[in-house]
Amino acid sequence: MRILRPLLAAAAVLALAACETIPKAPAGPYKAGASQVTLGRDWSDVSVLLAGGLKKVKVLSIDGPILNRLYITDGLAVGESLVKSPSKERPTPKLRAGMNSSERMEFVADSIAAMGYQRVETMKPRPAKFGEQQAVRFDITARTEDGLDVQGTALASEAAGKTAFVLFLAPAEHYFQASLPEVEKVMASARPAG
Amino acid sequence: MFRGRAQAMGAVAATALVAATPALSAPRPPGLKPAVDSVEAGLWDLMDKAEREARQKAELNTDAALNAYVRDVICKVATEYCGDVRLYVMDRPFFNATMAPNGYSEVWSGLLLRCEDESELALVLSHEVTHFSENHSIEAHEADKRRRNATMVVAMGIAVVGTVAAAGSANPQSAQSIMDATSSLIDVVYLASISSYFRFSREHETEADIVGLRRMAAAGYSPQAGGTLWRGLIAETTTSDFKRVREQDTRLGIFDSHPLSPLRAEALDAEAAKLPAPTRVAANRHRAAIRPFLAAWLKDDLRRRDFGQTLHTIDRLSKAKEDLGVLNFYRGEALRQRGKAGDLANAALAYQAATEQADAPPAAWRELGEARRRTGDAAGAKAALATYLSRAPEADDAWMVRETLDALSKGD
Amino acid sequence: MKRIIPIALACLWLAACTTTSTRVANKDGPKPPAGSQVLMLEPDVQLGLLTASGVTDPRADWSKAAKDNLTREIEAQLKTRAHGFKMIDPEGMMQGRTGQLLRLNGAVGQSIILFNYSGLSLPTKGKDFDWTLGEGVRELGAQHGAQYALFVNANGNYASGGRVAATIGMAMLGVSLPMGQQQVLASLVDLKSGKVVWFNVAIAGPNADMREPEGAKSLTASLLKDIPL
Ligand SMILES: [Zn+2]
Repeated sequence: MRILRPLLAAAAVLALAACETIPKAPAGPYKAGASQVTLGRDWSDVSVLLAGGLKKVKVLSIDGPILNRLYITDGLAVGESLVKSPSKERPTPKLRAGMNSSERMEFVADSIAAMGYQRVETMKPRPAKFGEQQAVRFDITARTEDGLDVQGTALASEAAGKTAFVLFLAPAEHYFQASLPEVEKVMASARPAG
Repeated sequence: MFRGRAQAMGAVAATALVAATPALSAPRPPGLKPAVDSVEAGLWDLMDKAEREARQKAELNTDAALNAYVRDVICKVATEYCGDVRLYVMDRPFFNATMAPNGYSEVWSGLLLRCEDESELALVLSHEVTHFSENHSIEAHEADKRRRNATMVVAMGIAVVGTVAAAGSANPQSAQSIMDATSSLIDVVYLASISSYFRFSREHETEADIVGLRRMAAAGYSPQAGGTLWRGLIAETTTSDFKRVREQDTRLGIFDSHPLSPLRAEALDAEAAKLPAPTRVAANRHRAAIRPFLAAWLKDDLRRRDFGQTLHTIDRLSKAKEDLGVLNFYRGEALRQRGKAGDLANAALAYQAATEQADAPPAAWRELGEARRRTGDAAGAKAALATYLSRAPEADDAWMVRETLDALSKGD
Repeated sequence: MKRIIPIALACLWLAACTTTSTRVANKDGPKPPAGSQVLMLEPDVQLGLLTASGVTDPRADWSKAAKDNLTREIEAQLKTRAHGFKMIDPEGMMQGRTGQLLRLNGAVGQSIILFNYSGLSLPTKGKDFDWTLGEGVRELGAQHGAQYALFVNANGNYASGGRVAATIGMAMLGVSLPMGQQQVLASLVDLKSGKVVWFNVAIAGPNADMREPEGAKSLTASLLKDIPL
C-alpha cells in the first residue's frame, strides 16, 4: 500500500534536486511572457521542476506540485505545447492552426493526461474573458495513478494565432477548494501584458 | 507502472555478458504456497503488495461483465490453475498481460482492444499461464542474479544511471513521476527486482509460446490464432508514426526482452498444424464483451498520439463490419488530431460515415459540421451542427455550437 | 546515491546509532490529554536480503516479523504514555472519502519528503513545518473514535555475507557499493485540524534490527523519542 511509499534516505533526492532553487512569486503582478495575472498571495515558482525547460510555461504552487499547481502561459504558437515531450516517441499535445474552443479544451485535457493523470474529463464550458479577449472557462476532473481524485479549472483564450492558458489542478480533498477563491481572482485578473 | 523502468532495466540486461541457460523444471502444483522463509515466499509477498496497490489504481476497470468474460477465458486455458488466478483488468492503452507467481494477473485494455476474437485473447492468456505454471518468474530472478554476479561492477554503474535516465524520461510534469523520482532513485534495488521477475529468457518465451498454444488448443480454441495475432501486432508496429518504433522489434509485453519475430509466428503456425481443429466458435463473444468500452479505449489510445497505430487498430476492428458508428467517429478523431495534409477532408468523410450508423455518437455531427466548415462547405456544416443540437440539446457545449452556427449564418 | 554511503558507513562506524530526523509542527504546543486515542494504520514493511550481486531477495518472513515487532512495540510505548491504541488494516478503507483521505496522506507525505528532507525548499513553506490534510480527516476520527492517526512505513535490506565481502573488496579498488540499510518513516496526523503534527525518518543502527524483538524495541524508542504524545 502506498500510504507512504518506501523511501530510503532523503539524501538521494538531494543529488537530483539540490542544484535547483525555487524562487518566490510574490503577491502582485506576475508575468508569463505576454500574459499577466495578479497574485493575491505569495506563490512558489516551481517552473524549474515542472516546465521541463518550456520557456513559455510557468508553474506556480503553494504546497508543492503534488498538492496544487497553477499553470500560466505566454501566448503559445501553433506547434507549441503545455507539457514537455519526454521523447520523440512520446509526443505531448501541440497546438494546431485554426483550433476552436472545444479543441482548446481537448488540448488541455490531453495535456493533463500527458502529465500522468488518469481519467481526465472536461466539463461545463462557459464564455469568459481574458482581459478584453474572448475566452472559454471550463472545469476538469481527473485522478492520480494512485487513485487520488483531482479537480481542476482552466481558462483558454486565443488572439492573433497565440493561445494563452491559465490552469489550476489540486486534489479534490481539501486542496482544490482551499485555493479556489485565490485562483478565481487570478483568473479574473488575467490579461495580455501591457 | 513500470514502463520507464522496464527500459532502464533493458539497459542493464544489454550489458550482461553471460546469459546462463536455466534448466526447465517441472510444472508447479495448483494451489501452491511456498515455504515462508524461501526466496519464493519473498517474491510472493512483494507481488501481494503490488496487487494491493493495483486494486486501488485509477486505471482499474471494475466492470463486472468484462471481468467475468476475461476471467472465463483465463479459466478455460488455465484449467487446474483457475483457482490460483486473481484477475485485474486495467484501462491502459498498451498491449500487455502479466501473471505473477502468486496468481496476481493484469490484462490491459490495449490488449483487449487488439484481439480480434476470443481465440486470440485465449492465446495471450495461455502464454502467460505457461510462464506461471512453469515457474518462469523465479527462474528469471535467479538468472538475473547470476547475470549480475558476472557483471557486477558494470551493472551497478548502469543500474543507477539507468534509473536516473528512467526518472528523467518519465514525464517531468507528472505528479506520479515526481513521486517516482523521489522513490525510484532510492528504491532502485526493489524496483529492479520486480521487473526482473518478468524478464524471461528466450527459452522461456519459446516454451510459453508452444506450451501455451497447446494449452489453448486443448481448451478448444483455434490454434491458428497464434500466428494471426503475432503477425497482426508486427504489422501494427510498421504503421507507427515514429521511425524508431517502426524499426524496433515488436514486443508481446512491456517487460519482454525478446522480440516478437516473424520466426516466432512461423513456429506457432507449424505447431498449430499439428494440433486439433477448434471446437469453440464464438467469434462475436469477444466483440460483445469489449463493445461498451470501445469509445473510451480508443480515446485512451489517441492519447498515445501514435495516430498511425490507432488508425491501423481501427481498421482491424472495422473488418467485422460492426460498431461502425463509433469506429468511424474515432477514425475521424485520429485524422483531425493528426492534421496532416488531406487529413481534414478524410476526417469529414469518416465523420459522415459515422453519422450513417445507428451507433454514431452525437459528437459525430458536431465534428462533421466543424470539418465541413473548415473545408469550405458552409451549408453542409450548418446542417450537421443543427443535427447535433437536435440530438444533444442539453449538451454543455451547445452554446459554442450555436455561436458557430450564428457566425456561419452571418457569413452567408 | 553517493551521499547515502558516507551516512551509512558513518553510522556503521559509530556502531550503535540509529539516526532520526524529526519535523514537528508546533514544538511548544500543548500535549494531548492522557487517554487520547491513536489510530494506527497497519505498517507497511518490506525487507530483503541484499545479495552480493546487488539484487535484493525479498524476505516475507523478515517483513512479517518486523511488522509484528514494530506494531507490538509502538503499542506498548504509546500505552506507557497513557494513550489508547487501535490498529486497522487500510486495505478495507480505500473506498469513498476515507480512501481519498488516505491517498491524500500519501501525497502529503511525498511532499514532505520532497520539501523537508531533500534540500529543496519551497518559499511558500518557509521555516515552519506546516502541512495539512484538511478538516475532512474528522470523518476518519469520528469513524474510529480517535484523535490522532499514526502512519508507519519501514523498508530496507540487510547485506548478505557475500555482499559484505564484495563491498570490502570493491572498496579496496576504490569503488563504493551500497550496503544494506533499513529505515522507518512515521507521521502523526491530528484528526481534528488535519495537521501533520510530527514526521520522522529513522535509519536503523546495527543494534536496532527490527527483525528481532530487542532491536525493534530500540528502533521504536528512537523513532518515537520526540513524538508529541
Ligand atoms: Zn512471454
